[in-house]
Amino acid sequence: MIRIENLRKTFRGRLALDGVSFEVQRGEIFGLLGHNGAGKSTTFGILLGQVYPDGGEAFIDGISVQRERARALAKVGAIFETPGFFDYMSGWSNLEILAAYSGHVPRAELEEAVRIVGLTGRIHDPVRVYSHGMRQRLALAQALVPMPQAVLLDEPTEGLDPEGIHEMRELIQQLNRERGLTVLLSSHLLAEVQQLCDRVAILNQGKLVFTGRWSELAGDGQRFRLDLDDWAKADALALRIVAPQVIELPAGDDIGEVVRRLVTAGATVRAVEPLRPTLENLYLDLVHRAP
Amino acid sequence: MPLLLTQFRHELRKLFARKRTWLGFGAFLAVEVVILALLQLPKVQRSWKFFLERAGYGFDQYFSGITLAFQILIWTVFLLGGLFVALVAGDIVAKEVEDGTLRMTLCRPISRVRLLLIKYATCVLYTFALIFFIGLSALAVATLRQGTGGFFAFQPLQGLFALFDSGPGHARYLASLPLLALSMTSVASIGFMLSCWNMKPAAATIATLTYFIADSIFRSIPYFEDIKQWFLTTHIEAWIHIYRTPIPVEQMIGDYAYLLAVDATLVIIGVLAFQARDFKS
Repeated sequence: MIRIENLRKTFRGRLALDGVSFEVQRGEIFGLLGHNGAGKSTTFGILLGQVYPDGGEAFIDGISVQRERARALAKVGAIFETPGFFDYMSGWSNLEILAAYSGHVPRAELEEAVRIVGLTGRIHDPVRVYSHGMRQRLALAQALVPMPQAVLLDEPTEGLDPEGIHEMRELIQQLNRERGLTVLLSSHLLAEVQQLCDRVAILNQGKLVFTGRWSELAGDGQRFRLDLDDWAKADALALRIVAPQVIELPAGDDIGEVVRRLVTAGATVRAVEPLRPTLENLYLDLVHRAP
Repeated sequence: MPLLLTQFRHELRKLFARKRTWLGFGAFLAVEVVILALLQLPKVQRSWKFFLERAGYGFDQYFSGITLAFQILIWTVFLLGGLFVALVAGDIVAKEVEDGTLRMTLCRPISRVRLLLIKYATCVLYTFALIFFIGLSALAVATLRQGTGGFFAFQPLQGLFALFDSGPGHARYLASLPLLALSMTSVASIGFMLSCWNMKPAAATIATLTYFIADSIFRSIPYFEDIKQWFLTTHIEAWIHIYRTPIPVEQMIGDYAYLLAVDATLVIIGVLAFQARDFKS
């Protein structure tokens, strides 16, 4: 549904994207993960035709955004960076105005989008009195008119409180489940991406360092934290020490056997704690390992 | 076509939903009343009386609503007209970029050129609405205060000294409004062009006014008399020729052709600059 090929972009000599390619399948929720400045928003900007790439191309449903922007964007809704509204107008007026740039959208469709995001009771209030959460919901509502095949959500939970994050997450999942929407979302919040996304792409300093499922990111290795009196003994046994007090064993290896060898070598093993790899650990490993 | 009109209507809705737009109209009305009050001062009336009677015309006949409306129109447009047109045109793109609303708009399948042309049309319509408002409200308040009568069109800086009976005077006055609006469209075009570049809305407005004022000042310096035709304000003043007898039609056509060419050039430059920009904070 969404495909980007070898995107490159520099801003005033600073490399923002360096040969980034990935594909989002129809109907999946795909996460674009990376720290601030990793190139997530630049990728979104290129996908929406708001940023011109130095090289490469972006496609939506097989249509090139760079060559046929209007036709390509006809099938997507989007939130790009911090949503800006005409604060002196009502939420409803904002929706009408933004929707008109996509064509004639029936009133019923606008009302449906408002209902989906739960703003029915407040949609005729001026946007200037909206909370941050309500503004984000309005941003999602405008992305849903006219009902798209895919939505591009750039940091959709940015600045929301925990309840707001939960509601937004539920909404995105509901839209994906009930309407089959393809979702591409960017975030620097690992937990959010882990809970929402089927697959992820991880960007670091403009480079793609991983694309795939979380399980693929975790790999097959198993990690344990050891409370050991003498780590030189572990070195001597050629154990793979991946962090202070943490070893990684190949899949299938038995930790009991490792402990026995350590004890035989004269080490005192005071405790063994299996570590389930957290997303944070995996992410940090990946980002720090990248050149 | 109807979709284009819908988008244009929404663009106007955005502009006229702002309190500032209406406050502007209110400010013009206030300035008109102040100028009218100043023109009623005995000292001012004495000098007008002296001037008219020395030329052999009756003060009571020509110191009328339409005469005062003309003075109010010139002074109001000079004091505030350029400022408000520059303000709206300078804001029309740059403010939306600053507020992030343009990013939302550009997530939509609308071409940048189409969006800009809608915005420019909005600027032009606002300019016409503003000038018609100033002209008609000036005529209304002046006529209410001074009544009807002959029209003494006097503007020494442009060498204008003309007298008309009430009917033809009103016809010339009303005909001058669209011409003045067309002239002021060039100010809007400068503001619009600058607004398309990567600059703050206030900077676009200030730069527009700076150009407008500098152009007027340089044009009035005798040293530049030979190249007067190169100054934009020379052509912007073409509207005042409608009060001359006979009306220099050919000169006016030339002036407005020049202004329209300048407007078109400015819009094209603005569109090209906007088209080349990346939109990302």
